[in-house]
Amino acid sequence: MIAATGLTRRFGSRTVVNDVTFDVGRGEILALLGPNGAGKTTTLRMLAGLIAPTSGTVAIDGVQLTRATGSALRSRIGFLTEAPGLWDRLTVRENLRIYAGLYALANADATIDRALETFELTGRGSVRTAELSKGTRQKVALARALLHEPPILLLDEPTSGLDPEVTRSVRKLLEERRQAGCAILVSTHNLDEAERLADRVAVLHERLLALDRPATLRQRLTTGRLIVRLAGDPSAYIDAARTALPDVVDIAADGTALTLRLSDPERQTPALVAALVAAGARVLEVRAEMPALEEVYLHLMGDTDRGIGEPGCAYER
Amino acid sequence: MRIRTLITKEFLDIARNRAALVPVVLVTVMSLVLPFGIAIVVPALTGRGLGHDADLVNVSAAAGADYDLSNDARVQLFLFQQFLMLFLLTPITGAMALAAHAIVGEKQARTLEPLLATPITTFELLAAKVFGALAPTFAISLIGLALYAGGILLFAAPGVAMAMASARTLMLILVVAPTAALVSLQSAILISSRVNDARTAQQFGVLIIIPLTGVLVAQFTGSLWLSASALGLAGLGLLVLWILLALLSVVVFERESILTRWR
Repeated sequence: MIAATGLTRRFGSRTVVNDVTFDVGRGEILALLGPNGAGKTTTLRMLAGLIAPTSGTVAIDGVQLTRATGSALRSRIGFLTEAPGLWDRLTVRENLRIYAGLYALANADATIDRALETFELTGRGSVRTAELSKGTRQKVALARALLHEPPILLLDEPTSGLDPEVTRSVRKLLEERRQAGCAILVSTHNLDEAERLADRVAVLHERLLALDRPATLRQRLTTGRLIVRLAGDPSAYIDAARTALPDVVDIAADGTALTLRLSDPERQTPALVAALVAAGARVLEVRAEMPALEEVYLHLMGDTDRGIGEPGCAYER
Repeated sequence: MRIRTLITKEFLDIARNRAALVPVVLVTVMSLVLPFGIAIVVPALTGRGLGHDADLVNVSAAAGADYDLSNDARVQLFLFQQFLMLFLLTPITGAMALAAHAIVGEKQARTLEPLLATPITTFELLAAKVFGALAPTFAISLIGLALYAGGILLFAAPGVAMAMASARTLMLILVVAPTAALVSLQSAILISSRVNDARTAQQFGVLIIIPLTGVLVAQFTGSLWLSASALGLAGLGLLVLWILLALLSVVVFERESILTRWR
C-alpha cells in the first residue's frame, strides 16, 4: 500500500534521509526505528506528502504522490504528528468536527461519537483541549488521525510520553487497525514498542541500516550460546557434554543450566541432548540465547555510525 | 466545503478569544465618536456652526451638490462622507492582528502540520484564513454602520441623512470597503506565510493605512474628490489587486519551508 523508493531528502548541504527504500503492505505494521535526528519524521512527512523528496518516489496504492495527486492521496492517510496539534480553545468534539468537515465525512456526529467511545473520551467531548492531560491530548490526536478510517496510518511516536495504561490501549487499537487491513507505519525510538507491535522493523539512521522481522534481526546477532536447563545440579553433566562434543571447550554450569557456545547449533544440539539424556539428565528446556532487539539496534548503530558516540549512547529511552 | 469548515473553526476560535476583537471594536467606536464630536458636539458646545468656516464651506462644495442644503448641513455632509470611508476601513487595521496571526499562529501552536496533512489545498487554507478574519471584522463594521446612520438621522442637520443615501455612499459600503479589506487582509496572510513571527506580519500589514490616510488627507484638503464612479473604479482596481494577491499567496506559500525551517 505504501512504497518508498530511493527516498532522499537534503536540507541545503545536509542529507537527512539518504536513499531509503521500503514498503508497507496491507495489514502490516512497520516500525521505523532510529535515534533522534535519524530522519524518521522527515520520512513520515515525505510519505504524507507534506514535503517533497529531493529524489526518490512515494507511491500510495500504486499512485505516485505528487503535487497534483497529493490532496486526493492525503484523504487516504491518517497522520499523527509528533505534537498533538490540537486547537486549544476548541473542545474535543469541535476539534474532531472540524477535521470531519475537512475530510467531508457524512454523518460526522455519529463518526465522532464512535471515535470518542473508542478512545474512552465520551465524557470529555465538551472539554476544551487546553484543559486535557498530555495523554488525553494524544488520544484526541489519535482519534483525529483515525476519524476518516484511513487505510494508511503514519504515526510519529504515538505512545511517546503516555502512561502504561494509555500506551496499552493505543497498542490494542493499532492491532485492531492492522486486523482491519490498514498499512501502518510507526516511528519510534522505543525498542520495546517496536518489538511488541511491529511485523517488521526498519532501522533508520539517515539511511536504512536494516529492514526485517524483529526475530530475524535478532538472529543476525545470535551468540551461538545454547542454554540447557536441567533438573538437579547441572555441573554433574559437564563431562557428558564434553564427551559428546569434544570440540566445544566453552561449557559452564550456571545455576540450574548448562551453557555452551556451539559453532554449529543445528548439528550439535541433537547430539548434546541425546548424550545428556543417556547420562541420566532430566532436560527441562533447551534454547538458543537470542539477543534483545535493543542489542541488535545498538550493534547496528555502533557499527555504522561511530560518530554518534559509543553504541550504548546511540538512542534515548 | 473545506473553506466553510475552516472558517467555522476561525469563528469558534475568535468566539473563545473575544479579546482579539477588542482593537476592532475600539477603532470602530473611536471612528463613530470622532465625526459626531467634530460635526455635532463641538459646534453645539461652542455655539458656532461649521458653516461659518469659509475654508470648510469651500472644500465641502462638491458634497451633496444636488441637494439644497445650508452651509452647516453641507459641511456636516462632507465630514460624515469623509469619516464614512475612515469608519469603514480603519477596523480592518484591527483585523490585521487576526490575519497576521493566521499562518504563523498555526505554526507556533503546532496545529499547522496536522491541518496540512488533510486534503485541504493551499488555496482553500488561505481563503479560509482571509474570510475568517474578514467576516467578524465586517460584522462589527456593519453594526457600527447602523449606529452611524442612526446617529446621522437623529443628530445631523435636516437633509444630511437624505443626501448621505447616495450612490457614492453605496459604492463605499458595498464595493470599496470590502475590496480594500480583502486586499489588506490578503496582504497580511501572504506576509504571515512568509515570516516566522506574527508581529512582523502585523507591522507589514498595517502599512495599508498609509495610502488610505493619503486619500483622506487629500479629500479633506479639497485636492481630491472621489465621485461614485471613481470609487467604483477604485473598487474594481482593488478587486483585481486582491485576485492577484490571492494567486501570489498560493504561489509563494511553501509548506516545506513552513514545516521545516520555522522554529
